[in-house]
Amino acid sequence: MMSGEPAVLFQKERAVGRLVLNRPDVINAFNVRMRDDLYSALEAARDDPDIRAVLITGAGDRGFCAGADLTEFGTAPSQVIARQVRWERDLWGLFGSIRKPLVAALHGYVIGSGVEIACLCDLRVAAENSVFRMPETALGMVPAAGGSQTLPRTIGQGSAMKTLLANDVLDAGTALRLGLVHSVVERDKLEEASFELAERLSDIPPALSAGISRAVADGLDMSLSRGLDLEFRLARSLATRKTTKV
Amino acid sequence: MGVQLKISQHVATMTIESSEEGNLIDFETTYSLSDAASEVRQRDDVWAAVLNADSQDFCLGTSPEVIEAALGDGSAQTMLRAAQTLAEIEKPVICAVQGGVRDQGLELALACDVRIADSDVTFAMTQVLNGTMPWDGGTQRLPRLIGRSRAMEILLTGRHIGAEEALDIGLINEISEPGEAAERAMELASVISEHGPIALRFLKEAVLNGMDGTLEHGLRLEADLSFLLQSTQDRSEGISSFLERRRPTYQGR
Repeated sequence: MMSGEPAVLFQKERAVGRLVLNRPDVINAFNVRMRDDLYSALEAARDDPDIRAVLITGAGDRGFCAGADLTEFGTAPSQVIARQVRWERDLWGLFGSIRKPLVAALHGYVIGSGVEIACLCDLRVAAENSVFRMPETALGMVPAAGGSQTLPRTIGQGSAMKTLLANDVLDAGTALRLGLVHSVVERDKLEEASFELAERLSDIPPALSAGISRAVADGLDMSLSRGLDLEFRLARSLATRKTTKV
Repeated sequence: MGVQLKISQHVATMTIESSEEGNLIDFETTYSLSDAASEVRQRDDVWAAVLNADSQDFCLGTSPEVIEAALGDGSAQTMLRAAQTLAEIEKPVICAVQGGVRDQGLELALACDVRIADSDVTFAMTQVLNGTMPWDGGTQRLPRLIGRSRAMEILLTGRHIGAEEALDIGLINEISEPGEAAERAMELASVISEHGPIALRFLKEAVLNGMDGTLEHGLRLEADLSFLLQSTQDRSEGISSFLERRRPTYQGR
C-alpha cells in the first residue's frame, strides 16, 4: 500500500456513504491507522445530513478484513494506557451510536475483527466465497471489538459459543443458516446488491430508521415494559412530527 | 457407578453411569457429578471438559427419590441441582448426547457450552405432563438458547424433538454419525484444548455474563478481560506463534 493512501476510503453516492476498508495488500488487516480512519469516516457519515445509509466494504479481491494486524500487537506502552485509549477513542461504541442503517458487504476472508465490524452493522450481505472465523482463543486472546457480545446477540448463544471456542470455519451457506448474514449473492453481484440494499434503506425517512434502530437496540437492553414505553414514545413523536410537518 | 472422571491431555471426561434404567439421576450421580465438576474447576491442567453417558439413553431425568428430596422440604436443594454444578465450571464443557435426553437430563446438556448429538437423539421436557416443572435451570437456559417462543412450546407440550429439528432451532451445535457423539465431542474438546486456556475461560465468562446484562456492560467486560489477558505469557505466545508461523504452546500462565 502507498503510505499516503488512507486506510479507509469515504465516498458519497447520492444518499449512501460508502466506507471502504483500504489495505488490500494485507487483506484489510485492522491496525491503529485503520481504527483512526474508520473513526473519522464514521463520524463524517454520522454528521452529514445528506447521508441516510452507510455501506461498509473491503477493497481488493481477497477479502473484507483478515482481522487485527498482529504485527502491531504488544506495541502499546502498557495495559493501563491501552485501556485508557480504548475508551478515549471508542470506535465500537461509535458504531452503536449511529442511527442510520449500516450495511456490510462481505467477501472472501472475514476473520476476527472483520466479523466483529460486520456484527456492528444492521444488515450483512455476503458473497458466495466468504469465509468467516473467530480465531482469538486459538491465539491466546479474546475478541476485543465486541465479538463476545455481538456474535451471541446475532447468531444465538449456542452457535456463538462453539464458533468462538473452536475457531470454526463458517462458509457463506452456514453463515446464512445461522443468521450471521441476511443474504448470499454471487461474488460479482456483491457490489450491486449491497449498494441497492443500502440505497433502498436510505429512502426511509431518517427519523423513522433512527426510531426503529433505537427501539430495537435500546429496547433489547431493557425490561419488556420499559421497552414498550420507549417504543410508544418514539412512535408517538414520529406521528406528531408527520402531522405537524405537512 | 455415579460419574467417572478421566483426565488426559488437558481434557477431562465426565461420564454418567447411573445404576438406574434410563440413566436416571440418582443420589450417587448427583453427588459424584458435583465432585467431578469441582475437580474439573480446580485442576489447573484441565483446560476443557466433556460430559457424556455410556448408556443407550443419555439420561431420562431424575430418580423419584431425588425429586422428592429436591422439591420436598428444600434442605437438599443446592446439592441436588446437578446442572447448576456443571454450569459453575468456568472452562468450556462439551456435551455428547444420544438416545433419550429428557427433563433433568436435558437440563444437564443445557448447562454445557456446546452440544453434539447422535442422529438417534430425542429431547423432551416432560415435567409438565407429571404436574411439575423444571427445577434445574430448564425454564431459564432453554429460552436463552433457542428463544422464548420455541422454549414455551417445548416446556408446555412435553413434545419430543429429533436431531434435525434440534439442530434447526439451535438446541444442538452438531449431529454426529450414529454412535459417535462422544467421539466427536472428544475430538472437539481436543481442538479447543489447544487454544489458550485463560482465553477460553475469559471467553466463556464474557459470553455468558455479557448476555445477562446490557450490551454496554458486556462490551466493558470484554474489554477488561482482554486487557487482563495482555498480562499473560499465553497471549504473547499466541501472537509470536502466529507471526513465526508455528503452533503455539500454551501453559495457562
